[in-house]
Amino acid sequence: MIVIIRFNLVAGYLTLFFNYIGLLVRDTKAAAAIVNFSFIDAVLSVIMFLLIIPLIVLFKKKWTFLKNKLNFSFAFLIALCFIFLFTPIISNENPEFSKNLSVTKLLPPLSTVKLIQLKSNESGSISESEKFRQRMDKIIKLSYNDNIIFTDSVKLAGTVKYYQKHDVKEIILEEILTEDGLPVVKEKFFLLGTDEFGRDLFVRLIFGTRISIAIGFGAVILSLFIGIILGFTAGYRGGLPDIILNRFTETFLAFPVIYLVVLILALFGSSIFSVIIVLGISGWMSLFKIVKSEVLSIKQKDFFSTAELVGLRKSQLLLKEILPVIVAPVLVNMVFLFSNIVLAEAALSYLGLGIGNSYPSWGSMISSGQQYINRAWWLVAFPGLGLILTLFSVNSSGRMLGKIFNPRLNT
Amino acid sequence: MNSRILKILLKRLSSSLLTLFLLVSILFIIIRLSPGDPTDKYVSAKLGNELSEKIAEKFSLNQPVVDQYFSFLLNVIKGDLGISYNYRLPVFKVVWEYFSFTLVFASISFVLQITLSIAISLWIIKKQNKKLEKLISNSSLFVYSIPSFVLGVALIYLFSVSLNLFPISGLKSLDYENLSFFSKILNRLYHLVLPLVTLSAAGIAMFYKYIKESMDEVLHQAFIINLQASGVSEKVILRKHVMPNALRPLISVAGVELGLLMSGALITEVIFSLPGMGRLAIESVLSRDYPLIIACVFTAGAVIILANFFADIIKLKVDKRLIKGILN
Repeated sequence: MIVIIRFNLVAGYLTLFFNYIGLLVRDTKAAAAIVNFSFIDAVLSVIMFLLIIPLIVLFKKKWTFLKNKLNFSFAFLIALCFIFLFTPIISNENPEFSKNLSVTKLLPPLSTVKLIQLKSNESGSISESEKFRQRMDKIIKLSYNDNIIFTDSVKLAGTVKYYQKHDVKEIILEEILTEDGLPVVKEKFFLLGTDEFGRDLFVRLIFGTRISIAIGFGAVILSLFIGIILGFTAGYRGGLPDIILNRFTETFLAFPVIYLVVLILALFGSSIFSVIIVLGISGWMSLFKIVKSEVLSIKQKDFFSTAELVGLRKSQLLLKEILPVIVAPVLVNMVFLFSNIVLAEAALSYLGLGIGNSYPSWGSMISSGQQYINRAWWLVAFPGLGLILTLFSVNSSGRMLGKIFNPRLNT
Repeated sequence: MNSRILKILLKRLSSSLLTLFLLVSILFIIIRLSPGDPTDKYVSAKLGNELSEKIAEKFSLNQPVVDQYFSFLLNVIKGDLGISYNYRLPVFKVVWEYFSFTLVFASISFVLQITLSIAISLWIIKKQNKKLEKLISNSSLFVYSIPSFVLGVALIYLFSVSLNLFPISGLKSLDYENLSFFSKILNRLYHLVLPLVTLSAAGIAMFYKYIKESMDEVLHQAFIINLQASGVSEKVILRKHVMPNALRPLISVAGVELGLLMSGALITEVIFSLPGMGRLAIESVLSRDYPLIIACVFTAGAVIILANFFADIIKLKVDKRLIKGILN
């Protein structure tokens, strides 16, 4: 369905991509200078988007488990993953876009404003890479655009009069972009309203989802590595390494994690990577305990001693003999860890220690919304609701997974 | 028997001290690893190298790292972690002032969490209504999923902005000094209602799940069925046989939960701008007051280690079987 709605956009991204390849062949240096994060981002998600349709068709049989037990939390999680992967397709606006503050500031949800589009003054002879850049800017939106004016109302009579709160401004009719001889006056619709800088809350929410989930995945994978490697060493070796690692884990468990995270972020500075690393380091303790106890019990089993006698290396033992056995409890634990990390990231950005102001994040949206709480409830309500629903569906699917893997708990 | 208990106490104490020692060591490693020259935090680099060299010498920064480590340990033992940049006071003095509030605040919330969750699970068991049980179980998961800052801001919007029932922030009213002693306490409690709800909600949901599960487990055991068959009243069974058995595992959980409580208190103090240690830590982070941050982290860690130590002792007191387990 989204293919149909966003067909223009997908086609736009694709032509842009092919244009870019053309440019790359002819003028490599200029092409390398143009590339930025949002361009790669857009191209990658379009490619993934086009790939996923044949994938779904091909592996139709494997997806049947989705049909059986599709309840609210699973559906919500799938929607979240979708948003995470295809952010540039779902919303083609820049989350930082703000213009004409007097009109767009703190609009309530479901409000509309008029939008006038001006003609862009394209200069004549420009180089090929310049031309490409202009075309790119048309499709991938920047955080500022001179040619868009938001107004409360517009009057077309010889000249164009437009009203912005108490201001009245006039421009000539020729400046406005025309379509079929008629001047373009569109309506801009803000589904969830705008924030104090006139930025679209819906777009920011979607981009914030992506950041939260990316950090969650990154940190979970990091703690998975730490937990499995340390747990395997402690369980397999026993003796002194076991004692040392146990004490180490106890220390980490006794640590007030949020204070530790705050200290590290304060000393080392906060960026997306430092947040991922810090949250990953602070969450591996439960995985360590699970892996260690499982390894201890597997060590007694016959198949494991056979594998040892055959002469497998330690990494092979871990990958081929232990991982398949412990995958169920580890998976359940990872799901809960994921929800903890998403919560911790939101809490950090609420406290002003998150990934900074260059990306929208749920936590920082809530903390800036708190200042406008008596005028604009939607600034807190929507990111808060998104956070609650995310955590709830992750937690309840974790509980469900636990029941599937461990039927004894099902009382 | 007495010497055995003393032995256990010593064992526990030494392991707690070892953990504390590891905590201090990790703190030292983190501080040393942090980027930037330590002298930059005292004098600007523009003032020339001579001054910063002087400072490095005075703080014995040019000595080997191992020597620095030992002097750091010695200072921690002496209770000297430096002087706060903002307050111009020894950091522990500042931390103590704020910590006392956090201690009271967190303790009230802790008591609230335990009593309310026990009360709810007892009520559910007495009702024996499957639908209600499922509803409460699902809604407890939902409440557990609400981040404290979302709940706090929502409560502020509902009760302070819309209904104007409770104050938005702060700890006392403007006319606080003129009140009598009794109404002073009432005034403080009145200001603490929303923060306490914010801090306790997730904890109540979590404890409810633990207590309910362990009560269910105990209820299905043979001796309870035996008691029921002998005609002992349900009330007596619940109070005398189910409760003590079900609450035993709670003690060790409670020790771990204290860590969560500390971080929850940090966020709640920021939301309602209460004068606690959490807000002090965040403020000192934002104003780059390094000695104060380190003191806050150290205090919080020490409190949790201490709480776990006491939880272990209480557990031993309650469950005599554990004593044998540790000694062997």
